[in-house]
Amino acid sequence: MKPYIAQIRSNLRLMGRDRSVLFFSYLFPLIFFFAFAQSYHARESAAIMAQVIAMVLIIGILGNGFFGAGMRAVQDRETNVLRRFKVAPVGPSPIIVASMVSGLVAFLPSVFLFFFFGTAMYHMPLPRNLLSVIVFVCIGVLAFRSMGMIIAAVANSAQEAGILVQILYLPMLFISGATFPLSMMPRWMQNIAEFLPATYLYQGIQSMMLGGESLARNLVAVGALIVALCVALFVGTKLFRWEKEEKISNQSKLWILGVLSPFLILGLYQAKTQQNVEKAKILARNAARSGSVLFQNAKIFVGDGTVIPNGSVLVRNQKIAQVFTTPPEDPKSLNAEVVDAAGKTLLPGLIDMQVHLDASGGVHSDSGIKRRLAAYLYSGITAVRSTGDPPEIVSKLAQAVNSGAYLGAEVFTGGSNTAYDPGLSALEANIDLETGNPAPLNRSLLQQAAPAGLLKSTRVFLERQKRTTPNLLPLERAKQNLLAACKAGLLLVTGSGAGSMLVIHGPTVQNEMELWVKAGIPPAVALKAATFNAATALHADNRIGLIREGHDATLILLDGDPLQDIANTEHIYLVMFRGERINRPDLFNQDKQ
Amino acid sequence: MPAIAVNGLHKSYGPVEAVRGIDLEVETGEVFGLLGPNGAGKTTTVEILEGLRPRTRGKVSVLGLDPALQSREIKNRIGVCLQATNLPDKMQVQEALELFGAFYDRQTDRKQLLERLQLWEKREAFYKSLSGGQKQRVALALALLNDPALLFLDEPTTGLDPQVRLEIHGIIQELKESRRTILITTHYIEEAERLCDRVAIIDAGKIIELGTPREIQERVLGQSIVEISTNEPAPLEQLPEKLRNEKHAARDSGKTLSVQTKSPAAAIVELVKWIEQQGLQLVDIHLKRPTLEDVFIELTGKKLRE
Repeated sequence: MKPYIAQIRSNLRLMGRDRSVLFFSYLFPLIFFFAFAQSYHARESAAIMAQVIAMVLIIGILGNGFFGAGMRAVQDRETNVLRRFKVAPVGPSPIIVASMVSGLVAFLPSVFLFFFFGTAMYHMPLPRNLLSVIVFVCIGVLAFRSMGMIIAAVANSAQEAGILVQILYLPMLFISGATFPLSMMPRWMQNIAEFLPATYLYQGIQSMMLGGESLARNLVAVGALIVALCVALFVGTKLFRWEKEEKISNQSKLWILGVLSPFLILGLYQAKTQQNVEKAKILARNAARSGSVLFQNAKIFVGDGTVIPNGSVLVRNQKIAQVFTTPPEDPKSLNAEVVDAAGKTLLPGLIDMQVHLDASGGVHSDSGIKRRLAAYLYSGITAVRSTGDPPEIVSKLAQAVNSGAYLGAEVFTGGSNTAYDPGLSALEANIDLETGNPAPLNRSLLQQAAPAGLLKSTRVFLERQKRTTPNLLPLERAKQNLLAACKAGLLLVTGSGAGSMLVIHGPTVQNEMELWVKAGIPPAVALKAATFNAATALHADNRIGLIREGHDATLILLDGDPLQDIANTEHIYLVMFRGERINRPDLFNQDKQ
Repeated sequence: MPAIAVNGLHKSYGPVEAVRGIDLEVETGEVFGLLGPNGAGKTTTVEILEGLRPRTRGKVSVLGLDPALQSREIKNRIGVCLQATNLPDKMQVQEALELFGAFYDRQTDRKQLLERLQLWEKREAFYKSLSGGQKQRVALALALLNDPALLFLDEPTTGLDPQVRLEIHGIIQELKESRRTILITTHYIEEAERLCDRVAIIDAGKIIELGTPREIQERVLGQSIVEISTNEPAPLEQLPEKLRNEKHAARDSGKTLSVQTKSPAAAIVELVKWIEQQGLQLVDIHLKRPTLEDVFIELTGKKLRE
């Protein structure tokens, strides 16, 4: 034990005297910390702060491992420092172990510094599994130091070591997610990233900090790092050289691959399953959802029928944090991105109570169910109730939307049958079908949301359709029934029956509401049916359908006032889904990323 | 029991034979020098003794232990001062002693050691701030940390300037008085002549001469050279018979005469007498003893320092 302790003490003392160690272990990561925190607006979101911490931790661990352990060991050999140890009754173990331990001890204070500044200056709550994060970081430091040692063990000169370090260090720095988010990269690059140990380290730290996951949930990353660590320590001891004159054969250099083998295996596995790509997407989604946004000076349709003429809504961490009925006094102190909503109307996301996701609603099938959910979200319809679709497909999709792996409208099945859903859209579509009327296909929002090919082939079909005299009666009767139900005080909800012929997935609720208003229903009643009532019927009114503190920040901001003209519900300025401002055109590129 | 006993030592690196049958005994308390040009097999031999390298064949005993099997124990009991070792720049002298001290079972008093090597004042100095001589003294201090019974000094003064070399020689002479066995490998003939009780000359993996420096000198050349200069050329053919039988030569158109002899004192008396008889004036007289360098060149046909 004595040689180990003496060596560790000596290492720590030397590190304390080494200005470059102080610079690279503390100052440099802290500079990055503040630079990232400022440029990513970490004050507006705890998740972004967590991401910043994960980034600087990776930068620190990479430097600590490759330069602090690897290059340092080469230097000690090149300057004949190790020679002196060779003649003492001591093996390589104390030297290797001491390098591991002292590197870790030197690194930990910077971890605490990051957490300290994160909580003190950027209001980040400490992660639930702080201990898991710290243990994981320790494993990471040790694993990367051991990788550095392996480079030192197989390199025959400082130049060679330098080349090896750059080959491993630079890709890990730039495509592990540590400096640019993985989900922003092209798919092939993401696949390369899955071969890099740093990717697993980064994702592990991120999912523990953002997702509150424990070590146990990240066993693959933990296991891979530990296997790499053990192999590197074993091989490092075997190949240890005391003198620069002792050279190592080129074959022995292949041991580097041995150390990296767990990650080669993982990379191949991931290339096949894409699990991690999915996980990276979810983590990025969580971060995107965690921002703070203040909608200022909006007309607010709360959902239950009440209206706030000039209100503001603060969104934080996926939820509605606060609703102001008068403008907030000091918006800056809220640390939120401000969206000026003057002249605009904010309302809860719309809900379609009846859709058939399995059918396209036009002629020929389009690119599938997933895209239909994206079309809904694009159109401001943030939840749909699926009826008559294959349950296994629907539940898989619902899961993907819920986890954040896929962006689209939330999917419900089941729900109450006591609500009154007149389904005017489907009845009107029947008439259009009989008259060959292509007008419904010309709606601008539908043209944006639905696949162009589907619209085109449907139009061609309509033109060739033999025109007959339509039966107007069912629609008229349904309108009368709706008015009666309204008078009777039934719970009205909007269901388009999308998927049936000529009801194409997209702005379905808008079309339905317009038919209601034409039938004589006041816009406010229609809007309430499409939001609060529908949420109630889905038993989800504790979470959606209302602009209320604690509810999901799932909102749409419209240009103009739909209470004046219901057609304004098609003039979408912004869609927010669970706190994330949706980049709407991007919704249709999801599978390409 | 001798401190070191080597019998028929062989070492090959693949097809290359670096050591080809070395026999050697170093007595306890002896200072033994190993001389030889680079690549002669000196370092390989010493590293086998220190337990740093396995041997191919032969018997080796160091302090009664086998270095191939008990290298840890041998390292624990010997002291080694390697050439061209370094310590980290910002390590203090006393910290280096503390660190390396932790590796040995046996400890010597570090304060005394530093004082003896005149490093006590420098104990808090960083290694990089030390002069060449001080660095070499630190290396010696590290070799003496465990109060070793056997000390290996590998080129202890190579690369040091002459004054520092003298300083190190002084320290080694002190160590010699404390009855420690010391094995020195060196390029410097003067060093071996000055410090060693016995030397062995190694070339091409074999010992080609072994004995005290004086013995070797005499055995190889057997003779000193008397050189005498006169004002006019001396008639060589009239040289007394005694001297004429020795190997002799003339230079400077006969003004300088050199005679090789086993008994230089008698030769000088004879020569001076003869010159007087010839009516010549003596200008200079010079006695040259053969050095190990001469021996070495004679034996190997190469210079030591290449």
